[in-house]
Amino acid sequence: MSKETGSSRKEIGGAMGEMFRIAMERPITKQYPFGPPEFAERFRGKLDVDPVKCTGCGVCEVVCPATVIRMVSTGKRKVGTREIETKRPIFDLYTCISCGQCVDDCRFGALELTHEFELATVDKNSLIMDKALKSVR
Amino acid sequence: MSDKEDPQPEGRKEASAGLIQYSPENLVPFGPVHPALKEPEYFKLILEGEKIIEVIPRIGYVHRGIERAAQERTWIKNIYLFERICGICSFAHSLAYVQAVEGILQFEVPRRARYIRVLVAELERIHSHMLWLGLVGYWTGFDTLFMWIWKDREHVLDLVEAITGNRIHKSYSTISGVRRDLPENIADPVKKEMAYIQQRAKYYKDLVSSEETLISRTKGVGRIDADLAKKLCPVGPLLRCTGIARDVRIEDPYAAYDELIPEIKTSTEGDIASLLALRIDEVNESCRLVLEAIEKIPSGPVKLTAPRSVPKGESMFHVEAPRGELFYYVRSPGGIAPERVKIRTPTMANILTATAMLKGHTLADVPVVLTGMDPCFGCMDRVSVFEVDKQKEWSVLGEELRQYGIKYYKERRAG
Ligand code: SF4
Ligand code: SF4
Repeated sequence: MSKETGSSRKEIGGAMGEMFRIAMERPITKQYPFGPPEFAERFRGKLDVDPVKCTGCGVCEVVCPATVIRMVSTGKRKVGTREIETKRPIFDLYTCISCGQCVDDCRFGALELTHEFELATVDKNSLIMDKALKSVR
Repeated sequence: MSDKEDPQPEGRKEASAGLIQYSPENLVPFGPVHPALKEPEYFKLILEGEKIIEVIPRIGYVHRGIERAAQERTWIKNIYLFERICGICSFAHSLAYVQAVEGILQFEVPRRARYIRVLVAELERIHSHMLWLGLVGYWTGFDTLFMWIWKDREHVLDLVEAITGNRIHKSYSTISGVRRDLPENIADPVKKEMAYIQQRAKYYKDLVSSEETLISRTKGVGRIDADLAKKLCPVGPLLRCTGIARDVRIEDPYAAYDELIPEIKTSTEGDIASLLALRIDEVNESCRLVLEAIEKIPSGPVKLTAPRSVPKGESMFHVEAPRGELFYYVRSPGGIAPERVKIRTPTMANILTATAMLKGHTLADVPVVLTGMDPCFGCMDRVSVFEVDKQKEWSVLGEELRQYGIKYYKERRAG
């Protein structure tokens, strides 16, 4: 017993001063979820779409590396003599990697990465975001 | 048991005639599933008593097919795919890839973007090295060191998050530059944190050269010399610890390394103890480079408009990732997706050296030596040890092996 204490004291010796210094400091661990979370300004969290700004152009579907976005038809619209199909994006956010490529490429500024990060869920369907362009414009 | 019933051990011995003979009696299978490794590997450790006399690596268990997947994705989407090859050096991967593509496009990247690339790459090197230093502390039973270093590493990760938007998967590179400019007023926090890291690095340098636990577990362990290194071609710190000063940043400068010149640190011992000191020196040097980059950074744009399609051609690029030279080959058929991407990661180059480092050591040294080559964390997930005379098979978890190593050295020192 005494032998063991002796050897471990020798082991610790080199780091003793530092240990005292750190023991005096406040703990750096934060108690989650109490207290406000700290983010950098640029932190990339959950994606959000502005239904007013989105025009259903479909660029985000093409650029997304994680196949989050699918375009579904919302009906038909007459442009001059032609009839074109209007679409709206549905975001399956459970595969989103929050890279922000769609935000960069949306010309209408409809997309934004929020600071929301608590996305754990037991039902992945709750992460399907379908709020853009519900009505035919 | 007669020969007829069990002809296999005999047969195996014959098959390996001329080489070192192995059979279930002296073979310790190590692996193969190491989920945290980029290149998961399986080591057959052949023992003589407790001493390892031969190591046979076998790789390719968790082949994810990333190179094939890349052929189905567009040039931009691939940046995010390649970042996910490695969690720790994600920026090095995306950097090597985008620079290879820029090579085909013959783009001149804006000078400010090249400085920012150096800045983020060096921050990544600091956090990767600190992670590794902590892990060596952990595997040698010096958990306090592990906690301290990982606490200090958070300071670097906070900077990375402030600059890129994420701690690990930075998603910051793009073809023709970086995706966003530096945030305003970043210079002050960078200077403050780098001064802090430099001061800590000095303390850790003293600690690793005076702490008995660390010295007894790392001094003379996993030794390789320059001649062996020349034969086995390791890369990165593993090569530099044998005294050979080679670094892609100097030999083939990319980004802004032609203007921000790093000093190559070497050491001549070639063991894990010298790797510890070497990596701390490199942390210090990276801090200096980050400070120099933030001082000298020019103004201007950070990216150009890259075309969606890349003309026919091929290109190669290598960067100095935290673990050594990372190599990318990209071939474009002239279109929106690559025809072939070939990647050679540093761990792949280092694996044979790691097997050479293991030879002559005991089973208790395996975690430290394999961590020493920096094969990403958590690699010692599962080892099974066969003990034939006791007629049982153990399945040793990483934690048990760690405890075994600590106990082994404690007993050896006591007796
Ligand atoms: S979010 Fe933007 S890019 Fe996507 S469909 Fe709407 S407008 Fe187009
Ligand atoms: S943030 Fe990235 S992964 Fe998520 S929807 Fe946008 S492009 Fe797709």
